[in-house]
Amino acid sequence: MDLIEPITKAQVVAEIADASADGRRLLPVGGRTHLDRGEPIEVDAELSTTKLDRLVSYEPAEMIAVVDAGMRFGELSETLARAGQEWAVDASPQATVGGVIASGTSSPRRLRVGHVRDTVLEVQLVTGDARIVRGGGRTVKNVTGYDLPRLLAGSLGTLGVIVQVALKLRPRPAMRRTVVLDGSIDDAARALATIPLPAAVLARPDRVEVLLEGWPEAVEEQTARARAAATIRETIDDGPFPVKAPWNDRPVVAEASVPAGRISDLLPSAGDAYGALIGVGTVWAGLRSADGELSDLRGRAAELGGIAPVIRGPGGLGAPPPAMEIQRRLKAAFDPSGVLAPGRFWGGI
Amino acid sequence: MARRRTAALRELARAVGPEEVSEDPLTLALYSRDASMFEGEAALVAFPKTVEEIVACVRIARDHGLSVVPRGSGTGLAGGATPVHDALVVVTTKMNRILEIRPADRLAWVEPGVLNLDLGNALRPYGFSYAPDPSSQQSCSIGGNVSTNAGGPHCLAYGITSNHVLALDVVLPDGSVARLGSEAPDAAGYDLRGLVVGAEGTLGIAAGICVRISPLPPSVQTMLLDFTTVEDAAATVSAIIAAGVVPAAVEMMDALITRAVENFVHAGYPTDAAAILLVEVDGLPSSVEAESRIVEACARENRVRTVRVAGDEAERALLWKGRKSAFGAVAQIAPHYHLHDCVVPRTKLTEVLAGVYRITENHGLAVLNVFHAGDGNLHPLLAFDRSVPGTLERVLAASEEIVRLCVDAGGVLSGEHGIGLEKRDFMPLVFTDDDLAAQACVRSSFDPETRMNPQKVLPDGAKCGDHAAARGSDVQRVVESLPEGSWI
Repeated sequence: MDLIEPITKAQVVAEIADASADGRRLLPVGGRTHLDRGEPIEVDAELSTTKLDRLVSYEPAEMIAVVDAGMRFGELSETLARAGQEWAVDASPQATVGGVIASGTSSPRRLRVGHVRDTVLEVQLVTGDARIVRGGGRTVKNVTGYDLPRLLAGSLGTLGVIVQVALKLRPRPAMRRTVVLDGSIDDAARALATIPLPAAVLARPDRVEVLLEGWPEAVEEQTARARAAATIRETIDDGPFPVKAPWNDRPVVAEASVPAGRISDLLPSAGDAYGALIGVGTVWAGLRSADGELSDLRGRAAELGGIAPVIRGPGGLGAPPPAMEIQRRLKAAFDPSGVLAPGRFWGGI
Repeated sequence: MARRRTAALRELARAVGPEEVSEDPLTLALYSRDASMFEGEAALVAFPKTVEEIVACVRIARDHGLSVVPRGSGTGLAGGATPVHDALVVVTTKMNRILEIRPADRLAWVEPGVLNLDLGNALRPYGFSYAPDPSSQQSCSIGGNVSTNAGGPHCLAYGITSNHVLALDVVLPDGSVARLGSEAPDAAGYDLRGLVVGAEGTLGIAAGICVRISPLPPSVQTMLLDFTTVEDAAATVSAIIAAGVVPAAVEMMDALITRAVENFVHAGYPTDAAAILLVEVDGLPSSVEAESRIVEACARENRVRTVRVAGDEAERALLWKGRKSAFGAVAQIAPHYHLHDCVVPRTKLTEVLAGVYRITENHGLAVLNVFHAGDGNLHPLLAFDRSVPGTLERVLAASEEIVRLCVDAGGVLSGEHGIGLEKRDFMPLVFTDDDLAAQACVRSSFDPETRMNPQKVLPDGAKCGDHAAARGSDVQRVVESLPEGSWI
């Protein structure tokens, strides 16, 4: 398959215009870390943003960075860390900024830092009809027009190729500690109730991982509360979170999403290699195949008011969402000739 | 028109009850404007009490060629709820029930007419809060908050309304109802929820709102810092952020508003200060202590005169009461006011404030500044008496200069009040024709016939798929370009 690697935004515009004229279909790609998300599709070429990788502007006092979408998350993180800040998404270092946003991949610390879409202040994209469009603005608050940044977050490249973004940053926590507790889901719920303001509480079948971050004295205060309430197996400072992700060793990983209080109702359908974010409602389930296990999980998630798209391996997204007509009209307006990843999105959009 | 209205009135009376629809001239006049300077004209006003009744309102309006203008408490400041001719105003204030509070799911379902403060009060016994807290929270509704993506002092640390809305049951312009978003953390499809939040009622009516609720912080500290120059206060804000502290709130008040508020509330604000900062930090007790120390050190480096720490909850409430009553206090100075809402980069605060003082002085107008300094969200408030000939013209001229000043500093037109009628013709200052065409595509995807709150948000001429359309680049004065059927 052809790989197109534009080095300017103007080239992105030209490539999309050409593809549109020739009836070729393009798959926008960044660091290739989220390509399993979406329905399987065939395209004629991949349009890579990885050569659009400048840091456009970064003023630490504003806690905003403007970057080209092809910048790697690892490189951006290093730049921000030098000024004591972070873009709180915790993606793979190879992932591109645009890819993280287009795939809608939130951080495991979501309990504390929120959804990835809440960190995108401004977006510049090239639409399927080869227009450069900007939405949002470079301030932390903004209701100037419709919220295109949120529309693009999680759009899987089907409305436009994200070429530049302004990101809302936060101070990098002074200290970061993972406390591993004995127990499982019920103990995890207790940990959330007793340890004040954790960054994450992850339940695995045989343990609970609690992430604490902030000023050192606050982390010590939280650790003391954890010690009083549960049996601490180990504490790890500055380690990865989750400590281990055994669900990623399975051929299929689904990212189920249910109301936070319904996680324990979902877990019987989530197999034996899962990680559940307590207080959030995200459950990563490692499955052996995309057959019966996946449909069981999806069926149960739907009963609980949620979804279970696959994020690694085969299996696609799942049933179409409500208001499909509006979704189709958006696709038709932003990508009228269907150049950009047609069929990849929910409902076959 | 008259016959159309009579027929619609008859059907509405059947659908929502004869007491809940009105063509009485006094009612129509009351609902012909919101809290902005803009007046319009309502054809009919309806007060639905259920989702089904909202659906009936939208369908009946469509059948009779009336547009629909959704309205909450009417506290909006940009004319977003001001009806422009032939409109049915759908008022949601009678839908004011909190339907469910589900701490385990960290969410609550409310009807759109629930007041922001009432929700906060209902959540407190559960140990939870709803983070967005506009200054009008005693009177503004959650539905209106959704419509304008409202903010408030505590958005600095906790984020705006959109971050706290999980799902919306929306009555769409065609009269169908869809749940956008989800009680779960992620939803399928494009983020239509995110589009409806902040759309100022142009994409549908939020008939049911599922909000995220957050645990109350275990500890809170509120500090009042006073300065002899605005520059020192602004530099303190930047220093706090640079030190890695994001306080829960950082509010600034300048000399004139501080004096007006002190007269009104007697909170013990220093009336001889050039500027005061109200800073709140929250979290674990030890982190509150650490952050308070940093805030105080930053203030001392920037020549703070006094640091007053609220000793108890009563004192804290009093300090906040001063801030939240600021707009009421303005009545002592002049009978009318026009409140701006632009956001600028935090580092440009001093420079933009100096410009605001210069502009208002040139136009001979009184200006008071009380605003969300941590977010760079300015609220210059022009106080005036519109009965004095020529005053309104001066206010509008100064307003346009302030908007341009903010945009030139890299800012945006509105942080939390919205575009409405007030700023739609300023949109080309910050967006290209292609940008606006894309926004028009969003609107037409929801509402192909522009039935919902027409003439708001986007300037005339912004059309989906019409990116080559030539439009004048010069921005007309707001007063000259208001749509027919509205005036100022």
